[in-house]
Amino acid sequence: MNRVLAVYHKELLTYFRSPIAYFVVAVFLVGTGYFFTYNMFLSGSASMDETFRNMGILILTLLPLVSMRLFSGEQNGRTMELLMTLPLKIWEIVLGKFLGAVTILLLMTAGTFIDLVPLYLFGNPQTTTIIAGYIGFILLGMACLAVGQFFSALTQNQIVAALITVSALLAFWFIGHLQNFQTSYALRNLFGHLSFALNFADFIQGLMRSEAVLFYITVSAIALTLNAGYLQWRR
Amino acid sequence: MIALESVSKRFGSKAIVHDLSFTVEKGEIVGFLGPNGAGKTTTMRMIAGFTTATSGRITVAGFDMATENDEAARKIGYVPEHPPLYDTLDVTQYLTFIARVKGVSRGEVRSEIDRVATACRLESVLRREIYKLSKGYRQRVGLAQALLGKPEVLLLDEPTAGLDPGQIQETREVIRSFGEHHAVLLSTHILPEVTLICRRVAIISQGRLLAIDSPSGLQRASEQTNRVTLTATAPAESLRSELLSLAGVTAVVTKEVPGNAHMLNVECQTDARDGVEAAIARAVASRWDLLRLERQQPTLENIFLRYVSQSPPESSTPE
Repeated sequence: MNRVLAVYHKELLTYFRSPIAYFVVAVFLVGTGYFFTYNMFLSGSASMDETFRNMGILILTLLPLVSMRLFSGEQNGRTMELLMTLPLKIWEIVLGKFLGAVTILLLMTAGTFIDLVPLYLFGNPQTTTIIAGYIGFILLGMACLAVGQFFSALTQNQIVAALITVSALLAFWFIGHLQNFQTSYALRNLFGHLSFALNFADFIQGLMRSEAVLFYITVSAIALTLNAGYLQWRR
Repeated sequence: MIALESVSKRFGSKAIVHDLSFTVEKGEIVGFLGPNGAGKTTTMRMIAGFTTATSGRITVAGFDMATENDEAARKIGYVPEHPPLYDTLDVTQYLTFIARVKGVSRGEVRSEIDRVATACRLESVLRREIYKLSKGYRQRVGLAQALLGKPEVLLLDEPTAGLDPGQIQETREVIRSFGEHHAVLLSTHILPEVTLICRRVAIISQGRLLAIDSPSGLQRASEQTNRVTLTATAPAESLRSELLSLAGVTAVVTKEVPGNAHMLNVECQTDARDGVEAAIARAVASRWDLLRLERQQPTLENIFLRYVSQSPPESSTPE
């Protein structure tokens, strides 16, 4: 675990010594702030529903910027050779990096808490619904980061890694819409289960379905396993 | 400490390293010589565990690299060709990361970093960001990283490439002092470096081991042919035929001394028999003026070039 922590610590240092983390967090908070204000004035109700939905789409495009450098940067900077020859197991590298990226996600999430202040000052929001929404948001973000981390291992070009990740995440987000074009029950069901958006929608409404929780955790686990497997295979 | 047993590496159908076997013992520095693309870096990477061998067995400090990679990694300090540095970190942060990964306990990280910083003369840049460092410092941070955690084996891939003469001197001293108690494999292009600090030399070309011996052993082995050079005032043609008529002289090349049309520089290839120089001296001096005569020891450079140029692609390894 010490070695995972060492990798984690190094990742955080690297994030905060490059402008990308600051940029991503700033854009995310400005965006969320805008959507929050807009939604509140439009609906006039003290809820985060619409804002969560917007935050979901926002991180689909922003988190790939966080995950893109995880392995692409190592390959590009020729430090991959170092990581792979240090006394580190591959899963320790993968986990340490993932936790580093998740920390950025948590910081982004914490930044949005400021929106809750006017909500509680001037309205009477449902706390449990909001908590469920945040849990869903973090789970969604973790799945996005894991997918991004996997794609980042495939190329040494960070831009390419980010673009592939955005495409994959958008596909996962909108796959639910394919339901409308299917008559086959099995296919409709499958698309529904695979959809990042539909699984997230439950959380927004305050539903913590274990199925949805499991879905995001499974996606993260599969992506990280593929990530580690790929690195091992390339050795 | 390092043992390779008929190790091969192929990428697809292309063989990069072919049936390579050698060992590096504790307390010796072995120089690893070869032209570009000979498979030096690939071999280093296999020993370091970055890539796996297609066939054969590599053991480091008794651990099989194929199955006990993790245990072996603790015993290895590896400096790749391009120093693997995180540009945005400062030197201390970088070395702290490496030390912690190598299992140096929290309390000892500080003293361990001080130790390698002193050995690599990095004291003055410990707080500087790595991207601001000059090439010489970058190279030495790469070396310092490898020394952390007191590894038993040191793999150095061209550690002095791109350094100025003063830095090369300092780096060599670090390597030499390290070689007294550890096993060091040093790949390099710089041949004098090998003669200066290596106990043995391995020459590889096209992925095959051509020779492994001490520098003086290699020199002895190639003394079957010698070179005698002389300067004399004589007409070129008759000197040439005179020399070629002597027993033991196999080839003669004459060149005019610049600025003096009557003087000639002559290079004779001779075989190893004793007294060839004396015979040449007598023959030349009896008819013309002999100004200089010298028998030349083969340099490591000549030996290296001979081995490399003599290796036909599919021949077996000469001993």
